[in-house]
Formats: sequence, C-alpha cells, structure tokens
Amino acid sequence: MRHLLVPVLASSVLLAGAVQAADAPPGASSCTGCHAATKIADSVIPRIAGRKAADIATAMREYRSGALSPTVMGRIAKGFDDAQIDAIAAWFAAQPE
Amino acid sequence: MATRRTFLKLGAAATLAAPAIASAQGAGRVVVVGGGFAGATAARTLKKLEPRLNVTLVEPNRVFTACPFSNSVLAAIREISQQQFGYDGVVGAGVTLAQTAATAVDAAAKTVTLADGNKLPYDRLVMAPGIDIRWDALPGYDEAAAEKMPHAWKAGAQTVLLRQQLQAMEDGGLVVMSAPANPFRCPPGPYERASLIAYWLKLWKPKSKLLILDSKDAFSKQRLFQNAWAQLYPGIIEWVSLSQGGKVTSVDPSTLTLVTDFARHKAAVANVIPPQKASAIAVQAGVADRTGWCPVEPVAFESTLQPGIHVVGDAAIMGGMPKSAFAANAQAKVCAAAIVELLAGRKPQEPILINTCYSLVAPDYGISIAGVYRPDKGVLADIPGAGGVSPLEVVGGFRGQEALYASSWFKTITTEVYG
Repeated sequence: MRHLLVPVLASSVLLAGAVQAADAPPGASSCTGCHAATKIADSVIPRIAGRKAADIATAMREYRSGALSPTVMGRIAKGFDDAQIDAIAAWFAAQPE
Repeated sequence: MATRRTFLKLGAAATLAAPAIASAQGAGRVVVVGGGFAGATAARTLKKLEPRLNVTLVEPNRVFTACPFSNSVLAAIREISQQQFGYDGVVGAGVTLAQTAATAVDAAAKTVTLADGNKLPYDRLVMAPGIDIRWDALPGYDEAAAEKMPHAWKAGAQTVLLRQQLQAMEDGGLVVMSAPANPFRCPPGPYERASLIAYWLKLWKPKSKLLILDSKDAFSKQRLFQNAWAQLYPGIIEWVSLSQGGKVTSVDPSTLTLVTDFARHKAAVANVIPPQKASAIAVQAGVADRTGWCPVEPVAFESTLQPGIHVVGDAAIMGGMPKSAFAANAQAKVCAAAIVELLAGRKPQEPILINTCYSLVAPDYGISIAGVYRPDKGVLADIPGAGGVSPLEVVGGFRGQEALYASSWFKTITTEVYG
C-alpha cells in the first residue's frame, strides 16, 4: 500500500499548492487594503505579513478590548471573534515578510 | 488482487492526471470589464491566485485617474498627475489588456463584444464598470452644462476644470455645491470636497463663502465634519439640508444658477454632484435593476439577474458597504478568490469584508469611517458592534495620524493595484 500512497499524496500536494493563496481566511484579504502585501515606500501603516501569529492575534484582541487605543483598528477588530482572529493571524504569519 | 505492477500503473496514471487537471484550469477564461480599483484588483488577484487562468481586462483608457485624493487637487495640495496610473503593472502581472471599450455583453452566449468588433468568450465575467452620471435626472444638467458647472465626480478633466474655475474666481465669490440623495459614489466625498475648498478659500480668497445644497438630511461623518468646519472654517461653509430646502431641482448653466423649491442661488463657481447610476454597459448586460444599480449575492458577488456575471465596485448594490475605492478593492479580492473556487468546482467560503474610508478636513486633519461586513439574509450586512467613525473628542495627534494613514492607504492601494 505504501507505493499507492506516494503518487496520491503528490497529486494532492500539487492541487493544494495551486489553491493555497485562495485559502486566505475570511477577512484577511481586506486587511491588505492598508497593510500592504508588498513593501510600499512612504507608508506609515505597518506591514503584518510574516509577523508572528501570536503578536498579530494579541494586538487584535487588545484593539478589540480597548486595552490598546489605536485610531481605526479598534472599530475593525470588534468585527472578529477569537477563532477568526487566530485564523487571520496564522495566515499572515505564513505570508512572505 | 492488485499486483505491484498495477500499483505502478495507477501511480503513473495519477501523476499524469495532475497536469490534465491543471491544463483544464488553465483554460479557464475570465474577462474583467473596467480598469478602476475594482476591475484592476480583480484581474490581478485572479492571476495571483490561479496563474493558469486566462484573464483579460477590458479598459479603453490608457491611464486611470483616481478619485480618492482628487479633492486635494482642487485645493492645489496635489497635482492631477499624482492621481494617474497606467496599466503596465497589471500587464506585468500576466493580465491581457484589451485597450478598447466593451460595447455589449451576451450573457447567454458568454461573450463580451469590443468596440473593435472582436468578441471575447468567457467562463466567468467580472463587471466593474463604475458609475455614469444620470444626465436625465436634474433638469438643465446635461453634458454641455457639466463644462460650465463641473461635477468632477469622475476624476480627470472635470477635476482640472473645477480647480481652474476656483483659481479664476474673484475673492468674495460664492462657491455653490450640490450633493445628491443616496446612493452615490463616495458618500463622504462632497463634504471632504467642501472642507478642502474652504481650506483653499481661507488661504487665497478669504472673503469667499461656500454653500452646500443637499438632497439629504444627514451625511457620512456629519458631526465630525461640522465640528471641524466650526473650528477650522468658521463662517465659510453653510450646509442646507433637504428639510431646509436644500434639494436642487434644476440648474441654469448660462447663469450658473442652482434652483431649489425655495430659492435661486447664483454661483461664481458651481459644482453640481448629480445623481448617478451603474455604467451603461451594466444596463446593456442586463445586470442593473430598476434602481439603476446591480444586485448581487453576497458571497461571490454574482449577479442575481445574470448567472456567470459578477459585479463589484461602485456599480454593485453591496448592502451596507459604501461605494468607496477601499470597498471596491476588498470586494474584488473576495470575488477573485470565489471565482477561482467556482472554476475549480468548489464552493466559495462565506467572506468577511472591511471598509475604511478616510476624509481630509484639512491637509493634516483626517477623519475616518470603518465597517466590517458579512453575508446575512442574502445581503452584505454590517457586523453589529463593529465599525463607526473617528471619535468626536480626541487628544494629541489623532487627526494628524489619520491624515497620515489616509495618504499611506492611497499609496498602498495604488501601488498594489497599478504598480
């Protein structure tokens, strides 16, 4: 059976690779409206791609609770629950810095 | 019972099957009509998510002129050239550019007819045609009138014309703006424009005043704007609401007069922001309803009137989401990901979208409105408890920070979409 598994796994990896970027969790693609996917000169808005997932998730929770007082991020963070925040944080952490 | 030899054959078949699936996906054809923020974002995102797709962007203009920050051009804080972006970056990302107009869509045959007579077949069509001015909605306001009383609601020559008129105006002249009823492109836009014109008048034409005649009783970020006007531009801006008789019922371009049910306002410079609708190609394609805008479902933004056609950006009815460049960009990214899923035979996930709109009240004074949206009962609805406007009372450099974020956002979106 080991022989059978090899090509099956290989083809599923191929397909997974093709759709990986489309698998961004709900909300993540909107973040890049301000938090650029690529490096932008002259922007004071920090990039979050490649940051540690725990750091992103902690910041979002503190924006949501009011522990941190940002300008707009408090209003945005209130739209996301813990699971959504964790999924977005993990996805950005996996993106190229 | 299978032998090892059979396993190897199966293995070879599975290995061969993967490229076969890939080429089937590679044959996927998506046409995007309109190269503004929504269309250009959709085209680029489709190629980024699925490089094997054939993506064609249909856009007649060689240069896109962005509306966000065009009010700063009126106030001579920016030049129109800083609003303009070409399509080299879009082409470099693998998108085929058809530099011509789309003249017809055949939803049944799944083709887009171009001005040069060619027909583009598609598996999925993204329509991002933006707005048209409703030339039939305000008596006296036609295309000729717009050369005397510019709308400047599509950035470009109209923006430059309004700026020239302001600069040529004598000190003490009255600037009159008219703002339309909802819905329209960029809900806070008329009030940012009034703010920045007032900023410029205060500097260069200090005896002048600005009158806003409004077809609404309330507007986006209203208290923030009005507080800032009282603080920064006392006595310069007067806002006349619908219930105060602010609705403009006709205009006379020969005398630059705006007429309401109660008064005739003769302007030195008149900026008429007229009622709008989805661009004509949306009507031709059968995706616009009787409101003039395009209803869509809230997951992939597929038309509820024509299957296979998705509508994003200002032309679409997006529930609680305003007609903004940020929203157009966010919708296009979600739409592109959903189309990749649909073409692969999978179900798109339920999205969450964010909108953030900054307005400048002065070059170093920014305010914002934000919202978070998800599908609910067939429309994109505000997530309760999220979103809202900047605080009315702030300390320190809050307004300056939001002005910096505004320009950073513009730099980011224009670089990622057109760079």
